[in-house]
Amino acid sequence: MNIVVCLKQVPETAEAEVKLASDKKGIEMEGLPLQINEADNYALEQALLLTEEHDGDVTVVTLGPDSSDEVLRMSMAKGAAEAVRLAGPAFDRGDPVAIARALAAAVKDLEYDLVLTGCMSSDDGNTAVGMALAECLDLPHATYVTQMEMGDGEVTVGRELEGGLIEKLKMKMPCVLGIQTGINEPRYASIMGIAKASKREIAMKSASDLGLDEGSVGEEGSRTKLEELAYPPVGEGAEILEGTPAESSGKLAEVLREKGFV
Amino acid sequence: MDEILVLAEHREGELRDITFEMLSKARSLGKDAGKSVTALLLGAGVGDYAEALKSHADEVLVLDHGNLKAFNAAVYQQVLSEVLKSREPSLVMIGHTAFGVDLAPGLAVTLELPFASDCIDLAYEGDDLKATRQIYEGKVNATVSFADAPTVLVTFRPSACPVEDAEASAGKVTELDVAVPEEPAMRQFLEYVEAAVGEVDITKADVVVSIGRGLREEENLPMIEELAEALGGVVACSRPCVDAGWLPKDRQVGSSGKTVKPKLYLAIGISGQFQHLSGMKAADTIVAVNKDPKAPIFSEADYGIVGDLMKVVPALKEKIAELRA
Amino acid sequence: MAVSLKETYELLGCIQCGRCTAGCPVGFRTYLNVRKVVYEGLTETGPRDAKGRPEAWNCTTCSNCTDRCPKGVKPMELLIGLRSAAIEKGKAMPTVRDALESTFKHGNPWGRGRDKRMEWAEDLDVPVADEGEEAPLLYFYGCTPAYETRAQDVAKSLVRVFAAAGVPYKTLGTAESDCGNEIWRLGEQGLFELLVEGNTELFRSHGVETIVTSSPHCMNTFKNEYGDLGIEALHYSQFLKELLDEGKLELPTPVEKTVTYHDPCFLGKHNEIYDEPRDVLNAVPGVTFVEFDRSRERALCCEGGGGRMWVEAVEERGERIAEIRVNDAVALGADYLVTACPFCLLTLEDAVKTSGNEGKIEVVDLSELVAMAL
Repeated sequence: MNIVVCLKQVPETAEAEVKLASDKKGIEMEGLPLQINEADNYALEQALLLTEEHDGDVTVVTLGPDSSDEVLRMSMAKGAAEAVRLAGPAFDRGDPVAIARALAAAVKDLEYDLVLTGCMSSDDGNTAVGMALAECLDLPHATYVTQMEMGDGEVTVGRELEGGLIEKLKMKMPCVLGIQTGINEPRYASIMGIAKASKREIAMKSASDLGLDEGSVGEEGSRTKLEELAYPPVGEGAEILEGTPAESSGKLAEVLREKGFV
Repeated sequence: MDEILVLAEHREGELRDITFEMLSKARSLGKDAGKSVTALLLGAGVGDYAEALKSHADEVLVLDHGNLKAFNAAVYQQVLSEVLKSREPSLVMIGHTAFGVDLAPGLAVTLELPFASDCIDLAYEGDDLKATRQIYEGKVNATVSFADAPTVLVTFRPSACPVEDAEASAGKVTELDVAVPEEPAMRQFLEYVEAAVGEVDITKADVVVSIGRGLREEENLPMIEELAEALGGVVACSRPCVDAGWLPKDRQVGSSGKTVKPKLYLAIGISGQFQHLSGMKAADTIVAVNKDPKAPIFSEADYGIVGDLMKVVPALKEKIAELRA
Repeated sequence: MAVSLKETYELLGCIQCGRCTAGCPVGFRTYLNVRKVVYEGLTETGPRDAKGRPEAWNCTTCSNCTDRCPKGVKPMELLIGLRSAAIEKGKAMPTVRDALESTFKHGNPWGRGRDKRMEWAEDLDVPVADEGEEAPLLYFYGCTPAYETRAQDVAKSLVRVFAAAGVPYKTLGTAESDCGNEIWRLGEQGLFELLVEGNTELFRSHGVETIVTSSPHCMNTFKNEYGDLGIEALHYSQFLKELLDEGKLELPTPVEKTVTYHDPCFLGKHNEIYDEPRDVLNAVPGVTFVEFDRSRERALCCEGGGGRMWVEAVEERGERIAEIRVNDAVALGADYLVTACPFCLLTLEDAVKTSGNEGKIEVVDLSELVAMAL
């Protein structure tokens, strides 16, 4: 069984303070470590586990700048056989549909029984590329997948709905699945392994390599446009209890007493 | 007249809150921009819901068909495509829910609709729709504009908009006549499996002490358990803590976990992603402890402490013990 | 792996005397049996990585086994090698994986951002060397004192002591990165090499001549594992001893306490620094010093080393060693259990709680004790 995994590199922003770039179209990337998108990491692990069990290869595909090679190398260090990167300015600033269109052009020529993606990214948070990709490839799809059980030419998946309810579906393969975090325990890629993988080839694909009209991908191929970024209004609601930990928690304890919790 | 079309979402016999949230948003949008509001109700045996929707929309379109019993993105997409093609609403709203994220992207691709997902706000500037989305885990708001097109598609974030009171004037109900395909073999609904109920039911507790990624290590859990005990509450958490295996799934608060409405919700080391907020914002009193003064949780909280939870929690435990003594 | 364990770790000398196992602090409370691991390595009959031999993760790298081997076999290195083989295959438990990924991304194993690395120094006047600025005397505060709330007190105390003694030190601010000591012991040699390379370059760019560390772990790796670094690496206890001897540090305020001292493995067993911390401790006026029965080279390990801060111990049983240590200290009548290592500080302090000794004894870092006497 061969599996294609679409993944991306994102800046780590959970810990860091995010600062807007001066043009308000992006954020300051300096000082932000880059990493594989969290849900994509689970998708990759799922593909590796499945191909280990059912024999086959994993091909990782990304669309992104040069730095994205790092996540491809990390994927190869973990066991991916091939890596493809859609590279070139034509792909820049695409909306989810334009990104999906580009990815589909690269994926359609690969051999696969399954296409896995993370269900969402931590940067743009579209929660859309994977399912749009399925449509571009004309494949059945399901997202928020937290359970998978392989059958003969089909897979039973559990989709996590609101409230933790699981929706069980039977899907014919090939299909596209958006993988939710927590479905497995992603492995580690050792630095030595990544160094070894850095000698392996990454297939670079430009828009013309893929037979794509440049106007159909990237910003030009997008039907939405990012106008401006801003900081969300914060702290409106909360009355901040100031002081040292002892002082602020003292104030909080008083509040809790007034309200009858203590 | 231009219309805004809202796809009603329901599950297991109930209309979901997101439906009314979207209708409320659509009505305020429509009022300003001179657009009518239409609710689209697809399903099997859902005719009754039209009553509930009527007072929130100018028109309710109902397609009650056996093949629509299970939510199947493949079937729904085909039906929606037909409806959109014939009606050409200027805006289509679908919930940014497990249901919506499975359905909307494909629809955007097939109908070539300008599409923005997970919108938290929408506004018309003249004829142009602008959407606000949150990116970088809620740390940045992005304004998005759409290409000129007869119809624009958005998915709308749950709990992003309050539900406005229904209007006295009732909308009309129209039965739709659209062919509904059978559930395709390539994707078949099997069943719903309820989440397992654990030993502690966090939805029944008056006091919930909830932890997030900020706790950093499972080893720090006992401190939280002690605090919860001191307040007579239970320990809950956000999704990353479940992914990390610190706490079982039944302790998870948020859109893919439990929704809680306790008297007191203490969010410790939780940044406040919307998925989490939607599961706890109805709590009577919300207190947040976080190192990052910009954490979105502070917008939802009534009281906040900006500080290191490793210092604040022990100090708070001590102060509570002092008050008790 | 083409080379056999036998050859890589020179196991042929093993006479199966079992001194390694007898001296192993975790041997009696987990099923880690060092002699057996060596035997199966020698005969090539055992698992070849820590995935198949999870008890290898229980090793604290205290070095007792290697130190006590009469034939010069290095069982500790074998155990670390088994971890490496697992790491190479991506088989690291999640907590270890997260610590390693964080070190690669943020330069620390605690999962915290680099921009937060100097938060401990907020409100303190801590000198930071600008890029390229000379810093002949470098205070390497280390990851754990940077981020761990309790261990921050070590760094805070030390900068107070340095200021009082007029020490012309500098720090590298947020440019400082993990030293690699625990990383190597977790078996991630590639990452270790990356850190060595980066740190060496950084130190050289600042013309560093002497490094003073908060942690014995950082000192150990700088001193013994950084190849031709050419920089003197001192643990702060050594440095404070020098300051005291030179009359630069005065400790006028008595601390009327009975104290005992726990030897950190990486100060004691690994580097034979037993006297300096005791000398510094005894220079604090008012202190009554009582010695543990098991002290110096016989000291028990607190189980915080060898990457164990990030390891979920496999099938533990019985009392934790840190708890034994705390109980022994209480029995000695000590008010303070003093140590000189951030990991020891954390594990021992935790053990005070878990052994029910809260209120009976306090765990104090030597740096804090000295700061009390300023």
